[in-house]
Amino acid sequence: MTDKNNKIPFNEDNYTHNINRNNERKLDRRGFMKTLVGAAGVFAVSSLPWGVLAAKELNGLGDKKYPKQKIIDVKSLPIGDAVDFYFPGEHDSAILIRLSDEKYVAYQNACTHLRCPVFWKKDEGEMLCPCHHGKFDVETGAPTAGPPRRPLPEIYVKVENGTVFAVGVKRYEA
Amino acid sequence: MKRSYVSVALLLAILMLNIIATQYMVHQYFYENYTNTIGAAIINVILFPAAFFIYKKGVKIND
Repeated sequence: MTDKNNKIPFNEDNYTHNINRNNERKLDRRGFMKTLVGAAGVFAVSSLPWGVLAAKELNGLGDKKYPKQKIIDVKSLPIGDAVDFYFPGEHDSAILIRLSDEKYVAYQNACTHLRCPVFWKKDEGEMLCPCHHGKFDVETGAPTAGPPRRPLPEIYVKVENGTVFAVGVKRYEA
Repeated sequence: MKRSYVSVALLLAILMLNIIATQYMVHQYFYENYTNTIGAAIINVILFPAAFFIYKKGVKIND
């Protein structure tokens, strides 16, 4: 009896004799399948935000809504002339240009280079930023000359009962 | 213990489909075809339970 309890079971000076680490990191068939299922799960979870974002776009929630704002009466803006206004905020200066009887364009007129105001040069038919001679196409707001590389943000306008209204801002697309 | 690698092959096929659907989803989002984006996302989500089902079947039969 005393012998049995007094025996040293292993002739080793460590406590890890019963830990068998052979093949511990071997990937067997079942483990490999588990990994594949896990990968499928990661794919599934990571595609959820894309679906949510796409649904948001489809429902038009990504577009900001601004209350429509009166800019000017049609009869006080001759063809080829421009008028400054502020939209959507009271410090967001913008310019409305009447190109023809029916065609109006409006842009936020802070130059996309260093935010100088952009002016409408009627006789040259282009928009000019006098600070560094940046020029913009009046039809699209795209930069045509000088330092600016991004287009002017377009403002959507609508004519109702002889009055021009600003109704929204085109989303910025890089 | 007889092993079958059919379920492994099926899971690999699902992984390939996942990759294809994800690529398609991201590109369709970029091109603003949001309906296609949602379709690809749904495919990706459905593939996960399918993969789990295949795994369960494979383990039960072969082990």
